Amino acid sequence: MSRPRSDDNSVLLVHAYLDGELDPANALSVAQQMSQEPALAAEAEHVRELQNLIHDHLTREEAPSSLRARIESRIGSTRQLSATPSWMHSWRALAASIAVAAIVASGSTWLVVSSQQKPVQVAELLVSDHIRSLMAPEPVDVVSSDRHTVKPWFNGRIPNSPRVVDLAKDDFPLVGGRVDVIGRTPVATLVYRRAKHLISLTIVAAGDAFAIGGPHSINGYNIVRWTENGVTYWAISDVEAKELETFAQLFRTSRNEL
Amino acid sequence: MSITPLRPRAGANSHDGPPVRLVTPGVQAAAGMQDDNALFRAVVMSHIDEAYRLARWLTANGTDAEDVVQDASLRAFRAIRSYAGGNPRAWFLSIVRNTAYSWLHKNRPAAIVAVDDLEAVEREHVKADDRRDDTPEGSLIAQVDAEQLRAAIAQLPAPFRETLVLRDIEGLDYREIAEATEVPIGTVMSRLARARRRLVEMLRQDD
Repeated sequence: MSRPRSDDNSVLLVHAYLDGELDPANALSVAQQMSQEPALAAEAEHVRELQNLIHDHLTREEAPSSLRARIESRIGSTRQLSATPSWMHSWRALAASIAVAAIVASGSTWLVVSSQQKPVQVAELLVSDHIRSLMAPEPVDVVSSDRHTVKPWFNGRIPNSPRVVDLAKDDFPLVGGRVDVIGRTPVATLVYRRAKHLISLTIVAAGDAFAIGGPHSINGYNIVRWTENGVTYWAISDVEAKELETFAQLFRTSRNEL
Repeated sequence: MSITPLRPRAGANSHDGPPVRLVTPGVQAAAGMQDDNALFRAVVMSHIDEAYRLARWLTANGTDAEDVVQDASLRAFRAIRSYAGGNPRAWFLSIVRNTAYSWLHKNRPAAIVAVDDLEAVEREHVKADDRRDDTPEGSLIAQVDAEQLRAAIAQLPAPFRETLVLRDIEGLDYREIAEATEVPIGTVMSRLARARRRLVEMLRQDD
């Protein structure tokens, strides 16, 4: 059978279809085309086989830790810190959104975030991380509703492994996780969903400064914070304060973890 | 080429022209509210692994890749204030990619085709590929091992290789790849299709 040129529209669409890049209507039409044209079906089959080969054989190697250390030290020598909380006024311009961030901490060996960070600063940083995540194509770096996928993802990205619980049966399904940054410290943030709202739960080693004070909301984003076993959890979201409290309560009491 | 009935994504431009970074006041505010250091961590340090792997595929050497990523990170740090809040991974990878090509140009001029010539190379490959009129029958050999696969990918011309690596190994979507490689989405699509076809041919020929 003759096959279409590699830059033929129908061929490109088959690839886009397999890559999940088509909207539902086009995906349907490409699927139909593939079922009618053997050359396109063969193309699709080859792409799948190739992707399987790549998936099975090519491990994604991590950058050497010495490289990270070198970059850190080079940056450190030229670094100038400048906190510029000039963002406050523009929050209201943000679309009605969807996120709740909670900071969760557990275990006892978490890296302690600089004690110069006051709760209010941490809260602002985390709310800003939350907002930034809402504006990104994905609010998380690892997308999964499976805590057995999300938890190991943090290995090597942050110094400790966060407590991840499954709250799907309570209508707080896990969306995924990402790494946020407070000062110079990367921290784990889990993202849960409540209806159309997202909740960011960030987990930080509890410096004393974190345990007390701090706002309960910043520009419409509610904040719930608690500390357990030397770790502070920050939940941030635009869901109602009461619901966020419920979430925090469920998270604290859940036994449904790894 | 006039296709791109692609799924629209939040925060991505939806036309087929050169990638445009969305700049909204909100994003700029978000970028400005943290210090440069925090932004650098979020944009650069959290994508060092991807950067290293991309550089490694482009330079074909781990040590060289480390040099490239270190250099690219410093460039990114100096430019972090110009980061306008687009996709951070794509932004940083585009710097890594440009740094890698500059590095190759300087240190291994014979090993690569000048970036200016890439389009010409691409046209040649299109002709060669499309001379094979028959759809290959049957499936890929099952016994391809990791080394063969790596070698085959390494043989791809750089524009095809980087596109395939970003999509099939790193999992970037088309818009991110368009931004990282600084070409329109239509070009991403045709490079990807071609890269995959060539790989299939090579792995079959190895049989």
